[in-house]
Amino acid sequence: MSEFLRILEYEVQIVALAFMGTVYILRLIWMFRFKAGKEITDPVGNPRVGIAYSMMNVAMPWAMESARKNWNFYAQFVIFHVGVVAAISATFIIPFWPGVFEIKALVRIFQLALGAAFAVGIIRLIRRITSPTMRLISTPDDYFSLVLMSSFFASGVFAVPNEYEVSEWPLIIFFIMTTFFLLYVPFSKISHYLYYPFTRYFLGKTMGHRGVFPRKRGGERPAGLEG
Amino acid sequence: MNEKSINISDVINLPLDTKEQKKAVDSKTPCVVDGRLKVYNPDEDNVKRLLELLKNKLSRQVVGSMVGCVHCGMCSDACHYALVRPYDPTMTPAYKADQIRHIFKRHFDWTGRLVPWWVHAGTPKDDEDLKRLKNIVFGTCTGCRRCTLNCPMGVDTAILVRLTRGLLTELGIVPEGVFVVSKDSWETGNQMGVTQEDYLETIQWMEEETQAELDDPHFKIPMDKEDCDFMYTINPREVKYDPRSIGNAGKIFYCAGESWTMPSWGWDQTNFGLFSGDDKLGGYIAKNLYEAAKRLRAKRIVISECGHGYRSTRWEGYNWAKYKQDLPSESVVVTLIRYINQGRIKVDPSRNPLPVTYHDSCNIARSGDLTEEPRWILKRVCADFREMYPNRSDNFCCTGGGGALSMVEYKPLRMEVARIKAEQLTATGAKIVCTSCHNCVDGLTDVIKHYKLDIKVAQILDLVADALIIPKKNEKK
Repeated sequence: MSEFLRILEYEVQIVALAFMGTVYILRLIWMFRFKAGKEITDPVGNPRVGIAYSMMNVAMPWAMESARKNWNFYAQFVIFHVGVVAAISATFIIPFWPGVFEIKALVRIFQLALGAAFAVGIIRLIRRITSPTMRLISTPDDYFSLVLMSSFFASGVFAVPNEYEVSEWPLIIFFIMTTFFLLYVPFSKISHYLYYPFTRYFLGKTMGHRGVFPRKRGGERPAGLEG
Repeated sequence: MNEKSINISDVINLPLDTKEQKKAVDSKTPCVVDGRLKVYNPDEDNVKRLLELLKNKLSRQVVGSMVGCVHCGMCSDACHYALVRPYDPTMTPAYKADQIRHIFKRHFDWTGRLVPWWVHAGTPKDDEDLKRLKNIVFGTCTGCRRCTLNCPMGVDTAILVRLTRGLLTELGIVPEGVFVVSKDSWETGNQMGVTQEDYLETIQWMEEETQAELDDPHFKIPMDKEDCDFMYTINPREVKYDPRSIGNAGKIFYCAGESWTMPSWGWDQTNFGLFSGDDKLGGYIAKNLYEAAKRLRAKRIVISECGHGYRSTRWEGYNWAKYKQDLPSESVVVTLIRYINQGRIKVDPSRNPLPVTYHDSCNIARSGDLTEEPRWILKRVCADFREMYPNRSDNFCCTGGGGALSMVEYKPLRMEVARIKAEQLTATGAKIVCTSCHNCVDGLTDVIKHYKLDIKVAQILDLVADALIIPKKNEKK
């Protein structure tokens, strides 16, 4: 392994990661500077149950009509985010636990996950470009983030075998992209995962308090009967 | 049910009408003079003022919804406007929320401040932009929250729309109807401008009617009676257009042997502050009601059938008024369940033989907690109850929500997107659509008239009253 690649895999990544962590901490401080809403009514439901339900919503495609009616879109969402997990994991496995990718079956699984995520990225990009609705609501950041993610997945497909003795270029490209990611993500929509717990927490707390979450699908015992 | 679609630019570019505002200024209406209700001032820097107001209104919850949208477009499948007008991308909830999100990003978000074009951050240029914003948030969204519950990120688009409405209300950049109803609310304590005299006379009239119906001259609609089990609060629409619902409630309470009262002031359980986004107005109206219950030492507050009234009185009002809830409050639907369950009233479902379906009010099913309760009752008072699909928190708005009924200029668009509701109703084959909301009664009536449906609208109280077995005098304890 060349010294350049070694530095790229280790020192550069650590510095970039520290930068992203710092920005995220600042972002959280920024969020917490806004006043929190306070609920002063008597509850009907349980806010904690509501929060848990809301947080787990992502894993319950039956809970939202938008997912029930668009199973294809939900499947894409799962594939895309499995790809995200695979790509991020690879950025740690390659420098810190290279032995993991000596297991060829695991390399194939990662490549499959990343390849599928790349395909979904392209499908989503086409959807964003061709649908008038998507075009109207899309910003340059939306397009760029999708292109960036898709490219990241594609570079990951070639990087995970970790065969630097054959060629270092797939790894150099993958880690340059990782570095860019770590620096760019906190300022882009890709950081939505940072906000997800907040938005779902607030919605779950309110809806749980009011007894709307968990959502009723029929047959529940009406309140007031005990009175 | 096909019809010519509305040109959306005609809606978005509707001018600001200020005739009613000028009239209120000329007649020195107190709430306008003392600044509780704002009128439009073209000489003021309204864009600057909007930014100042926005800064003060940002909460953590609002900011979460400002930054959380990933523009996935899933909300377009949830919105009745977007579903009926799939060729019109401006109907997408994310687009509507983006109108305020862009302003937020330009002034409060890092990326938007540094590279605004990258995230489409921007500031309204002038009052014309604010007037367009008014038409988007008041004219193309009923705040039904269907998109909120279908957002994978949990972004609450409806609260962003309400927030924007509130900012524009502070600038007087509102539809005429919103201004008039807000003025009436401030001036009379109820949103339909019902005078104290009209209110008391109507109650008296209903008392006499019900006495005749029950053949009992001792029947009373108690007014300002202290220490009762509950204080009953109503929608001013009941006084103005549907007084029989007051009589029906009285009749049921009488049969149940209830100890109840109505207040002479603070009786309006509806709250236009929810629709206009004006928390001050919301707090004022809600506090009137809470204080009335306190004054009468009622043991609980019972809210007549109204979706936004229930949401405002039971939930939002306490927060707007910063009033710690000191009494339990419940929908009259829950009260009715208690009566039936405890055998305090007897009902005969054969008296409602026609097929009945139920329309879930958005404010009750998505922002409140009542979905099973109305069905529990309807299955006991109707011979043929049929579900409407989708239902419960997936139901579609009657299209009259969010104060839309008061904004006549947007009615053509509202009726166009009501097609989805009309199709829902037709598919049930029901002859009666029951709802637990006075606002939905009017919304659904508009839909039925527009699409020429053979269906009538009723409320739960009406159907319970129709099914009620009135005990003979010597049977009544």
